[in-house]
Amino acid sequence: MMSRRKFLILTGAVAAGTILPTQISAKTQFVEAAEEIEAKRRWGMAVDVAKCTECMEELIAKTGNEKVKPPCVVACDKENNVPEFKEKRFDPQWMRIAKLKLEKPVNAKEFYIPLLCNHCEYPPCVQVCLTKASFKRPDGIVEIDMHRCIGCRYCMIACPYGARSFNFLDPREGLEEINPKVQMRTEGVVEKCTFCVHRVDEAIAKGEEPVPACVEACHKFGKGALVFGNVKDPNSEIAKILRENMPVQLRANLGTDPHVFYLKLGGE
Amino acid sequence: MAVEFKKIEGDSIQYIALVIILAVVTGAGFYAYVLDHEIGGLNGLSNRVPWGIVNAGIPYFIGLSAGSLIVSALAGVFNIKKYKVFSRIAAYMAAAWIIAAILSIALDIGKLYHFMNAVKYFNPTSIFSWNAFLYSSYFVICSIYLLVQFEEMERATRFMAGLAVFWAVLVHSGTGAIYSFMYSKELYHSALTPPMFIVCAITSGLGLLLATLYFTFKFTNRELDPSLIRGLGLIFAGLMMVLGYFLAVEGLEKGYIPGLHKAVQFVFLNPGTGVFWSFWLLVVFGIAIPTIIILYPKTGYDLRWISVAGILHAALVFAERFYLIIPGQVFPEEYLPGYELESLHTLEGYVVSYTPTIFEWLQIIGLIAMVYLIFVVGVKLFALIPERAVEEVVEE
Ligand code: SF4
Ligand code: SF4
Repeated sequence: MMSRRKFLILTGAVAAGTILPTQISAKTQFVEAAEEIEAKRRWGMAVDVAKCTECMEELIAKTGNEKVKPPCVVACDKENNVPEFKEKRFDPQWMRIAKLKLEKPVNAKEFYIPLLCNHCEYPPCVQVCLTKASFKRPDGIVEIDMHRCIGCRYCMIACPYGARSFNFLDPREGLEEINPKVQMRTEGVVEKCTFCVHRVDEAIAKGEEPVPACVEACHKFGKGALVFGNVKDPNSEIAKILRENMPVQLRANLGTDPHVFYLKLGGE
Repeated sequence: MAVEFKKIEGDSIQYIALVIILAVVTGAGFYAYVLDHEIGGLNGLSNRVPWGIVNAGIPYFIGLSAGSLIVSALAGVFNIKKYKVFSRIAAYMAAAWIIAAILSIALDIGKLYHFMNAVKYFNPTSIFSWNAFLYSSYFVICSIYLLVQFEEMERATRFMAGLAVFWAVLVHSGTGAIYSFMYSKELYHSALTPPMFIVCAITSGLGLLLATLYFTFKFTNRELDPSLIRGLGLIFAGLMMVLGYFLAVEGLEKGYIPGLHKAVQFVFLNPGTGVFWSFWLLVVFGIAIPTIIILYPKTGYDLRWISVAGILHAALVFAERFYLIIPGQVFPEEYLPGYELESLHTLEGYVVSYTPTIFEWLQIIGLIAMVYLIFVVGVKLFALIPERAVEEVVEE
């Protein structure tokens, strides 16, 4: 029967379609075993909100620009080739500043906090990613494999912290110079803060303490509001800060266990 | 067997004109996609609303497919002879709609060239990842089901019909779960979505099938008995009411939570947005009016009116998808409960707007045209439609 032949051909064509050429995929190589790293290292960041607020107030007073980009944001943009597009809806921003105000009191004070990927312990973005392009390293850093990402944006829907941006446009169109140390992304994939993973790996290989670009800039600017480090090392500065303060995690009720901790929300 | 299926001649001017029109619209849809991606940013999306109507096409088309298949299999599973006349058409349409759904994914993703990664790599915790597998297997099941029907293999048909219904329910619940398991967005998160998807699939599939049947029989001058349609019409109306019930329960539950008052007000009571209209148009023109048309005796037996009800409902189920996908994105989430947050450098913390552009609409319309192109060509190539469909013939 005609119809049967046609249908067999059709089904066959579909089957053939699934055996398309293989693509090469980047895999992170570790010298140490994953379990070893997991036991030893877990990166996190502490944010002193009082200092951030002070810094932003000063900058706004000085420049008169309500939306001024502080040194940490500028450094992140530059270090990680985060493009700048006029149209805000397309503009990727790994680190950005948000103004917070408690709804209750009259004339409540405004606080400023940086927002970035929280490198969650139980990251929803990794949970939902179709292709495992989003993945969590044993040291807790959540990364995206640009060769594998299909740009479905499921992770953007899943991330509770708006940390991810989609490249609607080619990032190169929005860049003046390119930092060759950081992987360049293309149009059609999702990107976000990596905790400056390239700096982390480089420092670990050299046996040094890693410092992400934003943290470095904050220190150079004389604020020291951001502290980065290994929360599993009891002697690290960040471990000490977390011990002695009452840190707040964003949307902690979701159980994602964010690893950006906000301190001193009410000032000193 | 009493039911005689027959191909159509398909050499009239009208037929050829229809094929050409559908082909042109399909082509325009794909061209809109190419332009959107070549030039970039011709859509209304943003980093706050990364999923728009092309994404909404995925659950919409899968719904139409699942609905069509469940209806078709009615005849097979329960061996209801009088519905057997529709079973081929419905199974064929189910396969066509799933192609549209898969293409909708292809058009929606940013890196088409990486598409096969979705098939090659499997993430067991990703619902979408499961669905990638379910969609392709579902298409194969549809095809085999149709094949055994062509071969008139009675027992295999019954078995495949059962499997197909099971698979359709699985596939479509999974699709609902893609959205409703998203705990990061309060407006997405609802356990009612998957069952609602099943109901919605059947109603929209049925609605469109009723209209398709009417027009097919009319243009091919075959006989269609209104009393045969009546049974399907009543199922259609009953399930539309169930859908309305689900929507009401869900909306009321969200409205009961103080933390969601602002969001709920924004969604249901703010006529300045597409979100508001998507919901209320659905309720009025997608559920209330079609239900009345079917239940009102003067219109409920008239095939033309039934077709109007079917098309109205099926079209507005697209609004339901919009209502499902968009509000959770345009309304901001609280990062630190109790605090008002406004980002200085992104659109976080603000109510953003999303208006689909003509380039997005064309992609959706193009895919719909493609399905009907597949259908129109199909009835010429395969024996899909029965010579006549009247009660006596099938009841024997
Ligand atoms: S903040 Fe968002 S992107 Fe970062 S790890 Fe958590 S869920 Fe993923
Ligand atoms: S957009 Fe990329 S990283 Fe995000 S879920 Fe899809 S494939 Fe994964």
